Formats: sequence, C-alpha cells, structure tokens
Amino acid sequence: MDYFEKLEKETKKLYDLAAKARSMGRDVHTEIEIPLAKDLAERVEGLVGPVGIAQRIKELESEMSREEAAFNIAAEIASADLKDSKEDEMTQRELMADQALRTALAILTEGVVAAPLEGIAKVKIKQNFDRTNYLAVYFAGPIRSAGGTAAALAVLIGDYIRWAIDLAPYKPTDTEIERYVEEVELYESEVTNLQYSPNPDEVRLAANNIPVEVTGEPTDQVEVSHRDLERVETNNIRGGALLAMVEGVIQKAPKVFKYAKKLNLEGWEWLEKFSKGPKSEKEKKGQDLVKADDTYIRDIIGGRPVLANPSEKGAFRLRYGRSRNTGLAAMGVSPATMELLEFLAVGTQMKIERPGKGNCVVPVDSIEGPLVKLKNGSVVKVSTVEQARTLKGKVDEILFLGDMLVAFGEFLRNNHVLLPAGWCTEWWVEKIAQSSQYDLKKDPLDLKSLENKSITAKEAFEISEKYEVPLHPDYTYFYHDLSWDDLNMLQDWIMGKKEDYQEGKEFKIAIAPQKRILEILGVPHILNDSQIIIDAHDAYALFKTLEKPLGEEKQSTLLALNKVSPVQIMAKAPTYIGTRVGRPEKTKERKMKPAPHSLFPISNFGGSRRNIVEAAKKGKISVEISRSKCTQCQISSFQSICPHCGSPTVITAPGKKKINLSGLLRKASENVGIRKIDEIKGVQGMISEEKFPEPLEKGILRAKNGVFVFKDATIRHDSTDLPLTHFTPREVGVSIEKLQELGYEKDCYGHELEHIDQIIEIKVQDVVISDNCAQYLIGVAGFIDDLLEKFYGLERFYQVKDKKDLVGQMVVGLAPHTSAGVLGRILGFTKAAACYAHPYFHSAKRRNCDSDEDSIMLLMDALLNFSKSYLPSSRGGSMDAPLVLSSRIDPEEIDDESHNIDAMASLPLEFFEKSTQYAKPSEVVHIMDNVQKRLGTAKQYQDIMFSHHTHSIHQGPRVCLYKLLPTMKEKVESQVELAEKIRAVDQKGVVEGVLSSHFLPDMMGNVRAFSRQKVRCTKCNKKYRRIPLTGECKCGGNLILSVSKGSVVKYLEISKNLANRYPINPYLMQRIEIQEFGINSLFESDKSKQSSLDVFL
Amino acid sequence: MSPDIIFKFANAGILVNEIAYEKISLYDDPLSLSSSLIADLSRNYNKKDLVIVTGDMVDKFLKENGNSPDEPVGGKVKTEIKLEPPSGILNSNLDTETLEKPGLGTFNENKILENIEETEDLKEDIISQNSDEVELILESVDDADFDFKILKDTSKKSYTSGNIKDIVSYFSSRYHKIRDFLKKRKDLSDYSPIADIYQSQDVVKIIGMVKEVRTTKNNHKIIELEDESGEISVLVHNENHKLFDKSETLVRDEVLGVVGSRKGNLIIASEIIHPGVPRVEEKKMDFSVVFISDVHIGSSTFLEDSFNKFIQWINGDFGSPEQREIAASVKYLVVAGDIVDGIGIYPHQDKELTIKDITLQYDEAARLFGQIRQNIKIIIAPGNHDASRVAEPQPAVPEEYAGALYKLKNLEFVSNPALVSLDGLKTLIYHGRSFDDMAMTVKGMSHEQSDLIMKELMEKRHIAPIYGERTPLASELEDHLVIDEIPHVLHTGHVHINSYKKYKGVHLINSGTFQSQTEFQKIYNIVPTCGEVPVLHQGVFKVLKF
Repeated sequence: MDYFEKLEKETKKLYDLAAKARSMGRDVHTEIEIPLAKDLAERVEGLVGPVGIAQRIKELESEMSREEAAFNIAAEIASADLKDSKEDEMTQRELMADQALRTALAILTEGVVAAPLEGIAKVKIKQNFDRTNYLAVYFAGPIRSAGGTAAALAVLIGDYIRWAIDLAPYKPTDTEIERYVEEVELYESEVTNLQYSPNPDEVRLAANNIPVEVTGEPTDQVEVSHRDLERVETNNIRGGALLAMVEGVIQKAPKVFKYAKKLNLEGWEWLEKFSKGPKSEKEKKGQDLVKADDTYIRDIIGGRPVLANPSEKGAFRLRYGRSRNTGLAAMGVSPATMELLEFLAVGTQMKIERPGKGNCVVPVDSIEGPLVKLKNGSVVKVSTVEQARTLKGKVDEILFLGDMLVAFGEFLRNNHVLLPAGWCTEWWVEKIAQSSQYDLKKDPLDLKSLENKSITAKEAFEISEKYEVPLHPDYTYFYHDLSWDDLNMLQDWIMGKKEDYQEGKEFKIAIAPQKRILEILGVPHILNDSQIIIDAHDAYALFKTLEKPLGEEKQSTLLALNKVSPVQIMAKAPTYIGTRVGRPEKTKERKMKPAPHSLFPISNFGGSRRNIVEAAKKGKISVEISRSKCTQCQISSFQSICPHCGSPTVITAPGKKKINLSGLLRKASENVGIRKIDEIKGVQGMISEEKFPEPLEKGILRAKNGVFVFKDATIRHDSTDLPLTHFTPREVGVSIEKLQELGYEKDCYGHELEHIDQIIEIKVQDVVISDNCAQYLIGVAGFIDDLLEKFYGLERFYQVKDKKDLVGQMVVGLAPHTSAGVLGRILGFTKAAACYAHPYFHSAKRRNCDSDEDSIMLLMDALLNFSKSYLPSSRGGSMDAPLVLSSRIDPEEIDDESHNIDAMASLPLEFFEKSTQYAKPSEVVHIMDNVQKRLGTAKQYQDIMFSHHTHSIHQGPRVCLYKLLPTMKEKVESQVELAEKIRAVDQKGVVEGVLSSHFLPDMMGNVRAFSRQKVRCTKCNKKYRRIPLTGECKCGGNLILSVSKGSVVKYLEISKNLANRYPINPYLMQRIEIQEFGINSLFESDKSKQSSLDVFL
Repeated sequence: MSPDIIFKFANAGILVNEIAYEKISLYDDPLSLSSSLIADLSRNYNKKDLVIVTGDMVDKFLKENGNSPDEPVGGKVKTEIKLEPPSGILNSNLDTETLEKPGLGTFNENKILENIEETEDLKEDIISQNSDEVELILESVDDADFDFKILKDTSKKSYTSGNIKDIVSYFSSRYHKIRDFLKKRKDLSDYSPIADIYQSQDVVKIIGMVKEVRTTKNNHKIIELEDESGEISVLVHNENHKLFDKSETLVRDEVLGVVGSRKGNLIIASEIIHPGVPRVEEKKMDFSVVFISDVHIGSSTFLEDSFNKFIQWINGDFGSPEQREIAASVKYLVVAGDIVDGIGIYPHQDKELTIKDITLQYDEAARLFGQIRQNIKIIIAPGNHDASRVAEPQPAVPEEYAGALYKLKNLEFVSNPALVSLDGLKTLIYHGRSFDDMAMTVKGMSHEQSDLIMKELMEKRHIAPIYGERTPLASELEDHLVIDEIPHVLHTGHVHINSYKKYKGVHLINSGTFQSQTEFQKIYNIVPTCGEVPVLHQGVFKVLKF
C-alpha cells in the first residue's frame, strides 16, 4: 500500500472511533469538528467555504495557474445569481463579496493561515459622494499572518470583485487621504515599525488610487486627529488596513502590478511609480553586500553571546553543502564547536551576518571543527565532541570557530550573491576529477574514498604536482589572514632553522614572537619547555610551501605566496560569517497561565490556583455560563444529547447562573470512578462567545494524568522545528522490524534494511519528536484511554506503556498563526530539544527552521476534544486552532520556501568556481538539483540527497548554556568570558553592546513604567489604571504593583559591575550613574538614605 | 571690568596672583576665559584645597585648550591679544520698525517683540556708551539687594520608597489638597461623600477624582468620579452646551466638584466646578526678570551664537539703548529646565551631541552662565534632559554633575517644579512634561499653544494631573505637583515654542528654546521658536529676539 493511503487508512480508523464517541452526545457537539482535507482545494473549503467549492477550484486549477484560479473563483462567487431571500439585494451581494474574498485569499495562502478568516473583518458596499456604489474591504490585525504579498493581493481581489459586480471605484476625500497619512505616521511612532516606511506622498498616491476602500477595525488604543469622518467608523488606528496598504500594496508594488497586468485589471498603472524607488535601493545594497554587515549585532542582548564580529578573521568559515539535517534555514556547525562554546545546542537560533538573518544550529560532524590555543601554549584542531569536552577547561583562545555548512538553497531563498567557498576536500576532489592528467576511468586514487581519507603531506604534494591541482585543504593554512610582512617574517624564522629539520620527523624550534604568526596561520603545534613542536606532516607542508622567500613586491599575501610556492595554494577561508546567539531551543508542554485541566469556569471561587475542588466546597456558585436545553423535555444539562430523554439539545444564551458545583463534581467523579484528586484546575471564566463549559469528567481525567488543556480544549506540546531528510534507526531509537511495519523497506542507497546504522530517507509526514514530548504524550495517551473507557464506555485505544508504543501513532502538527493542522506520524525520538521532520512537513505548516516553534497533539485528542465553541470570540480567536486537517502533503501546495531544498549528493566544480566570482544564485541554479526541479514528479518524494554526512542528529549539547545558568548575572559573565576567548570577537564591543542595547534601555523603560504603572488585585486579578482612592480593590482584595521594584533594579547591579570591570565608553558609564541616581531617588526615602546606603553597595 | 574677574574667582574660592590676572585681562573676553579656567580647576582640585592661579597655570591652560579647538572652552580664547570693542548696537530706526511690526500670533497680550541684531553702524560711540551702561547697571541693582526665597523645593525631600502604600498616600494627598480648595467654594461647602448621596433625593454635591471620561453612543459625556467612600458616574448632557463644552477639557485624575441631581446610579450634572484661580493682585516691580528654558548645551543644534548675544545683552554689552536699559534692570534669570542636552535621553543621542560627557556639558553651561554679571541671580530647575530622575517632581541637578555651576555664587538650583520668590514676585517654575499628555488628551490643545494648557492646569490647580501616560510621576507621600499657592508667574518650557497669556493676573510664560529644529522635530513638523526671550520688564511683558 502506498504511504499516503496507509496514513489515510489509519486516520480513518481514528475518525471512526472518535465519531462513535462523540455521537453519544456527551460533548458540546455530536460531530467531530475537524474536517479532513486531502488537498488545497478541500482545505480551502474546510477553512472558509463555501460548501462544494473544492470541486470548482480543482476544475479551474487544471486549466490555469493557481493565482488566476483564485481570481476567477472570486469573480464567480461574487457575481452569482441572487437567491430569493428576505435579505435585500445589497446585503446579499455584500455577503457574496465577503465570501468571494475569503475563498480567493485562502487559495492564495495555501489554505493554511488564519488570515482569510481573521484578517478580513467584513466587506461592505458603500456609497461615494457622487452617489455611486463602491466596495470597502475591512481588514483586521491578523492580516499580518498572510504576509505582505497576500495582503496586497487581497486588495487586488477586492478590485476584481468590484469589477465583477459592476461597482464604481472608491473616491476618497482629501481628509480621508490625509487620515491615512496620519495613521501611517502614528502607527510607526505609537505602535510598531512597519517593514517599509513610506513617505507621506507615497501614502497619498496609494490612498488616492486604490480603487477599493482599504479600511478596517480599530486595532490600537491610539486616536487620530482626523476624527469623526463620515465614512470612517473609528477614530483609532486601523492596523490591519495599514498593513494591507503599506506592507502590502506599497511594499509589494511590483508584484501587485504584475498580477494586475496579467489579469487585465485597469487603474493600477500608478503602481509603476513604486516599482522603481525601493528596488533601486535594494540594488545598491546588492553591490556592497560583500562588505561586512553588522546588522545582526546592532542589538546585543544579555546572555546571548556574540560568537564572531562581522566578517572577522577566525569567525565561522562558509562551507557549501547540505547535510541530512540542514536546509530550510537550519545550518550545520561542528558538534565540537557547539560543545566548546556551550551556548550552542541542537536547535539554538543564531543571528547571522549572511545569507539571511537567522538560522538554527544543527550538528554536522563531517565539516571542520574549531582551532584552539590552550593555556599551555599548544595549538590544537578539535574535531570531536569528546575532545572538545576534555579540552574545554584548558582553552585560552578560540582561534577559529570552524565551518558553517550552508546550503545553496539558502542563498537562493534570500537572493544573496554567492560568496567564495572555503577550500575543502570535496572541491579538491572535484579538481582532481576534472584534471586532464587524471584518468577517471581507472580512478587510481579512488576519488570517492579520497574525500574523507586523511593523507600525508608528502602524498598531498605529490598529487598536486602530478595532477596540477592546488594543495590539499589539510595542508593549506590561513595564509590570506597574514600580512605580507608577517608571512615573510615567518618564512625567515623557519628557514633560518632549516638545518634542524629532518624530513619525516617532527620539527622543533625555540619559542619566539613569531609563534603568534604560526597561531594565526592555523598550524597545530605543541609547546613544551619553550620548544615549539610541529608534527612531521605540518612541518613538511610548511617547509615545502615556504621554501623560497616572498618576492620584493608587496601585494596580497596569497598572491605573493603563489608566485614562489611549488604548488598552488588556495584561500582556505575567503568568507567568514559573523554570528551571535539568538533564541534558545525549546521543547515544552504548552501551558496557559495559570494552567487549567479543564475549560470549566469557576470565577474566583477556587482561589488564585483556580482549583475546582476548592470551589466545589462552596456548594453552589454563581458563574457566567451557558447550558443546553432539551428540545423535547426542556430539561437543561451540559450535553448535546439530553441525558434524560435522549433528544438533541440546543445551547441557551450565556448569563450569570447559579450552578451546584459540588453536585456536578461528585457526579462527574462517580462517572469516571475517580474520587481522590486534590487539585483540578479550572478557568476563571469562559472566553468563548457561547460560554459553554467542557464536561467536568475531562478535567478530572486530565488532572489524573498530569496533562493540561489549551484554549481550544486540545493538549499541546511545543518544540523548535528542525529539518530531517534522512535518519538512522539507531539515532531515532526504532527497530528495523518496526520500521518495516511502517513501510520502510530500503535505505537511501537502495539496500535492504539490515542494521541500525543504515541511512534511510524519511517519509514526508513522519516526525521525530523529542524525548520530552514523548514523555508528555504518554500522559496524553493515558488520558485519552481513560476518557474512552470511563467517559464514553469504549475500549482503550493507545495502551501506551513505553514511548516505543507511540511509534506509528498519528499526530497533528499546527503552527501558531495558522488554522490548518498537518497530519503526521511518529517515527522515533531525539534527545535534542526539537522536533525533527521532513522540510515539507514544516513548510506545510508555513514554518521554516530559523527557530520557529510549533505544536504537536495526538490526533485522537484533537478529534475527541476540540470544538470551535471553545474558541475565544475575540479577533484572532481561531488562529492556532485545528479548523481543518490536511491529510497529505503535496509539495506543490505548500509554502514555496521548501522548493529551495538542495537534493544533490555532491556539488559540481563549476559551482565552487562561480562562488569565487560572486555569481547570483540564479546564474548557477541550472547546474544544481533541488526540489523545485522535481515538482510534479515521483522524485519530489524520494532521492532527495545530501552532500555532507553527519553521524548523529543529536550530537553536542542538548541544552544551551543560556538555559542552564539560572541568573542573568551568570549568563552575562559567561557571555563576556566567551567574548574574551574568541579571537573573532571584540570584548569591549560586547560589554558596551549589552549595556547600550539591552540593560540601559530596559532600566530606563522600567523606571518610566514604574512611575505610571497599573495596580492589580491579588484576589480577583482586576487591574486598575490608577490606584483607587480607597486603596483597595472593589472586591476587598489587596492591591499590588504591576511593575515591581525588582524589575526596575534588576540590571542595575550587573551593569555597574560590568562598567567597573571593563574599560567601557565613559558615555555609557555616566548613563549608568544617572540611572542609578534616578532609581535610588525613587526607592529610597531621603530620610533613611544614610542607614540604608549599604543595601545598594 | 577688573573687579568682575577677581569676584568671579573669589566666589569660586580661588585666588589669582597678579601675573595671572594680567594675562587673563589681556584677552578679548576675560570673563569667559575665567569661567573656563574655574571650571577646569574645579574638576582637578578639591573644594577644600587652597588654589592660587599663577601665570604659568594660565599659560598651561591656554596651551592645552588652544591646541585642541574641539574642546568646548578652547574655541573662545583668542590667541591674538587685542582689545576689541563690543560688536555693535542696534540702529535706532530699525528698532522702532520692529516695535511697530505686528506680533507673531503666539502672544496674545502685552506682546512686544524686539529684534536684536548686529549692525555695522554707530561703532564710534560704542566704547563710551558701553561704559555708561556699566555704570547704569551698577547703579540700578545693588549686589546685596536680592530678596530671593525658595518657597517650595522638593530636592532631597523624596520620602517615597516605591511601595504601594506610597502610591495610596500620593493620590490621597492630591485629593485632600484640592478638595480643601474646593470646599472653600460657597457652592460646595456642603458637599457629601459619594457613598452618602444615595440618602439624598434632590441636589447632590460631590468632590471627586476623575477615574475615566468617556463619550456615550448618543454623544453625552460620562465622568466616572471617585472619592475615598466610593465611586459614581456623572452624566453631562450634550444639550447643556456650556457644561458640555466645559467637560471637553476634563482629564483623568484631576479633582473637581460636581453639582447635580441623582437618577438611580447616575448623577446628572448641572455644574462642574474646578478649584480655579482667584484673580491675583498685580505685583509691583522695579526690576526685571528674564525667563529662558531648553538651552540644550552640548547638542549639535544648540544655537551658541544667539545665546552669546543673549549673554552680551544681559551684561549690557549689546543692543539698542532701550534694550540696554531693559538689560540694566534685570535682576533675575530663571531657567525652566533642559539647560543641557543630557546623555542617553533618546536612542543614538550621542550622534547628535557635540559634548558627549554630562559633566562637560554642565562645565560648558558654567562657562556660558558664568559670564553673566554677578548681580543677576540665576535660578535653574531641571528638565527631562537634565541629569536627574525622570519622575516628577524632579530633584535639583546634583552637584556631582553640575559642580562647575554650583561654584557660581549667584546661581541657585531648584527642583522641578519649584516655587520661588523674586523680591516678592512668586514664580512657579515647571519644565512642562505634562503638556505632552494634555495635548494628546484634550481636544483643541496643542504644543503650539501651551498658554492654553497652562491656563487649564491653573484652573485644575495641578501641574501634571494625568497619571499613567507620558509623564512619569513619583509616588511621593505628598503631591508636590498640586498648585498650593497661586503664583504671580508660571514659567514653563519643554515644547520649544514660546507662548504668553495673562490669566487672572498671573503671567503664564513659556520661554521657547535656544535649540534649532532637531531631526525629531523635522519629522513631526514642529517649528521651534528659537532665541526668543521673554522678559518681565518692571512688570511689563516683552520678548527679545536673539
């Protein structure tokens, strides 16, 4: 059976069982509320409707591109015939236009994100002052999740609908236009920065010409001065509308214009004026992209160390290629580097200089590790985790951080020019293969094995001389990092002792200032009793390379060297990449604050812990809630089928009602046969519109199994997303037999599965969850089984005793700003704090792997417990809820970021050579193989190869030091210590950066916040903008500060400490002093200043 | 001139030997040089040390500073020794012309704008006229003649320790103080606590603090009022036009009285009563007071030239005879905050600073203010750019940073706000941070017309009523921001735009700035009024432009 059919069959089994359970009517509704969708068209229908539209989408898609189909659908829906109905023509038409816009937008956003539901508030037909009708689109805040292009297209769809139903263009008044100008400025000053800041004239141009009214709901409590306009309903900022106009239409003008032309839409020609402005700026940027770029360290945060300054010598070296756990913004680093730095664990985010802004770190052990100088003066290459662990305490300086493995796809995705590749064995091997002297047929060197074999220096020179290729990377040092003078000085020094050197023996030389040059050059050596000892191979390479002095002409060191060296010497590290540590990795169960076991409201009767057991002791309590009423016997209950007569019930309007909680709890306990539970946490009030509670039994069973519920009644576990295209049975902890059961038959080289170290290509919907996640899901499975058995009276389903029992179970993956879950299957486990899955799986959720995180839930839990009725009625309420479930992943129907995944087993020589010429990625894409080229073929699911091996996907630290150190003080200490150690980092810059971009702004912000803070009641949590004159809460509870003294002074001591210990800019020093004066003045009474002085010292 | 130099040093506790004195007096601007020298010395010596300035020290100082023109003090010292006459005075014809010019809309009453400009004419008379002026100054104001008192200053009186109790006591103090003003009003003498109004049927009178003001769907106003007994909503009907208009200026956290009738849980207001301002009696003045603010020394946009002209004028060395006459009568100079640009006030400020050291900024201020003749008393309050805490009331700038200014014997630091008496002229000095909130909250109010805001604040008897917005308020046990005593003058700054209004006998003065338009102001299209200095010339309001 085909993989997808297998998944679907298993899924069907769960749907059937869940349908049976829900049909008993013990839940809020009798049906499962997550429709299953096989493809994009079905997803769109499931997400926004209308019913039956999937068929039509499929028809149109077969005839035209998806974008064109979307526009056509919009026109068709909006201009359909009117029905006989009570509603007048205009209202009907408005509703149709509304539906049309949502459906088309859903198609354009792959039917995943919540924007079509939440980003558009409504569509209205309004009147111009010349009495013609026009279309107005009301945007809401969540339009942000659609992305700029989709937001812009929403406006364009609006215009297409307008045209289809024959309305006039929107004619704005001057005040309305100025209102937009004001709002854009206000939004940037009061709310947040826009990705693109348009000048007032640009806003005027757009506002004046967009043929539909781009308006929306108020999103922020900021009022404008262009108030009370007749056609603008609110005096507050319309955030959604601004995003659609600025980050949409204006920022994406060229794209929008392209579509408008394609669709023959008139009245968008003015967009051409935008197409030039911002783009030329970008082109300018393109030219100096090769210069050091310090964007990623403009902000330095306490505890997140800078690992390398921009393009600094000794930073990460650019190495091209993809390993089985990189791509989609995850990049490889030697696990030895990770172990040494301690701040990098599997899945830790790094902010990087280029390409792109950030990545996630994953271990790849086939690339170069770091080079360190020990306290005893020796210089050592570190290549394994074990070695790094033993050396860690002895390191004096990290001379070089090692490689960063970056896939070509990352450059393609960011449209970043290629940068010169580091000189590496795979390139060297390609050079030999292409050499005219080399007989490829006979392959005397066995090139395949040569790539990973270490060879002697002598052999290296022989090969180079014989085949006219540059010297092997192992014996190519960082010559280009030396100045001409330094290299000459080194040459002098070594050659001066030539008589002490014997070929094939190690070379000893008395310590001299030139040792530093040797260190920077990266030649490993031992220091013993003032004797520098260089091993036989490195000595051979040095004597051979430097046999002649450099020519008199002072030029680039490498050029000068190549004039005299017997073989060609390549630039070992022509591209250094600067980085700093970003967000730490994460894998943790999702808990709301406070974390409930049940969505059952108990107001304040359960104390601050919201304990239902506690509240039940009060007997009857009064809470805002709704009940359901039997359609037959009128008896009220909390079930969808009347427990008394078995007829369907309807939910009644919510209101303040008295409920007998103690009775309800007793009965629920009896139902599930559980008595002694001390704490079952409920919620203060329901935030859904209906305010219909969950059955108490579910809360009891969740409490029993130690799991917590999320706002939509599902149970979630969150992890950092990481990509994985291949795995070994050993690392994911699954037996060969189990794998065969799951449909794995061969390894990626076509061999039968025999042993647990074979490399197997992962199936696209299989996921490798963290051990922590597995542990939690065992609890969830226990809860589901209890629920099936004791609440629904069915058989236990999961019967999980051990995490191994979870293998093969179906899960739902869901990302925060989306509303469509993706079906997954548990394949195995990782010790890393992350969720490894096929890049398609992450992309289907609209995530990439630069430290995005999202959730996993057990499919049965979602089917049994999820209900739309629990979702918050507020805007954005249906985000992060599984409104529909995609059962199979088609790479053509997911975010096209995943199409940039490299699929090659090796990189061609031409690629390496093009990289040294700063070629654009589009110039070389034809010689590369990636997913894009395989779309629509069987190869899109298989044989996606990788170029660099790694032994295990969870080598190196699993928790980064940031999370291990308890206090900010210690984090910063370690950060500064690390800055001291790494050659590529400027320690003073780090200290100043932390102070000026983190601690000082934080302190200033908190001082200000302290002096205008709200107060909060400890009992009922009510907030007061200003303390009431009575000094207490209406409920009689105690009021406390919402900004504590602690949060104001928390960084003061560390800042002073740093300022005293390191030579920082006096400007910063004084800023700290002034802050201290201000803080003391706020917290210390002048009366007691003398006596309490020592508290602050 | 000689006594001035000796005086200067003596006041700073520094002695000068004869050679040094001669060297200094040879310079074209010996006073400025002296100030710089004092500032320099005070940085290097302990106050208690006995310091005698020798000729060598002067040479060394000149060499050090002359060689590095970037130093704020260096640029002023001319190496060429030459006695130069003062630059010039105003042509009398031009003068009358300016007087006849219609004023800039900013000034509503008593507005006289005088342009002080350099001219090339009439240089011959200068020297003689100049010496006359000096005599005139010495005649008009006697050195020991200051009747200066600090009536209210919160520096070193911050008793809060930042606890919730302190916040309770802060607002309670505000309520009690203003309630006591309101209680004295005839129509509120029989007010009752909010909790008690349910007993009365007809007319209710309450005094409360505003919790919230909002507009209903039908466009009426609802004011939520509270006192220590409870809270209630007050409705202002939109057909009661006069009252409704009045309610438009209400802001959160002010204290006011309401007379009205109770309907269930609602009071229908018939009257809203502010604590208000009784008309004050005109204060007779035989002297003049100069008001400035927002000098922003240390910023690259500080208008040093016009400030220098200002100093020359105040010293009697500059301007038309009439203007010099005004200068001669000046006895007090009040500075309402932001004397320096400060450091770290906004992100990347260092890029817009010419002096990146807060102490050096105050040193430079000391050099400039130190040139002002000794018989003018200078009073300085901090603003949001100064080295103080941000929360109001702000204590005076500490000596730690402004040591050089503290050395000037004729200079006093006060808190923000502060109430001082200048020969009986009660002046309330407030920087003006709360204008930001008032302009944001109240319809029709703007930074350009801070006089309207000042009038409103006087009516409310509180200098910064709105809590929780831009103005940080320290929870002092007593609310020092209540206007306890009606001053003769309310002097503010902050908005960089001059304004003036005489309201019920009180001079409401905003003194503009000596900083040209900043990048920030450019973006928001704020046009500052630069170098326009208000003067109360023997009781008459005038503005001089530098």
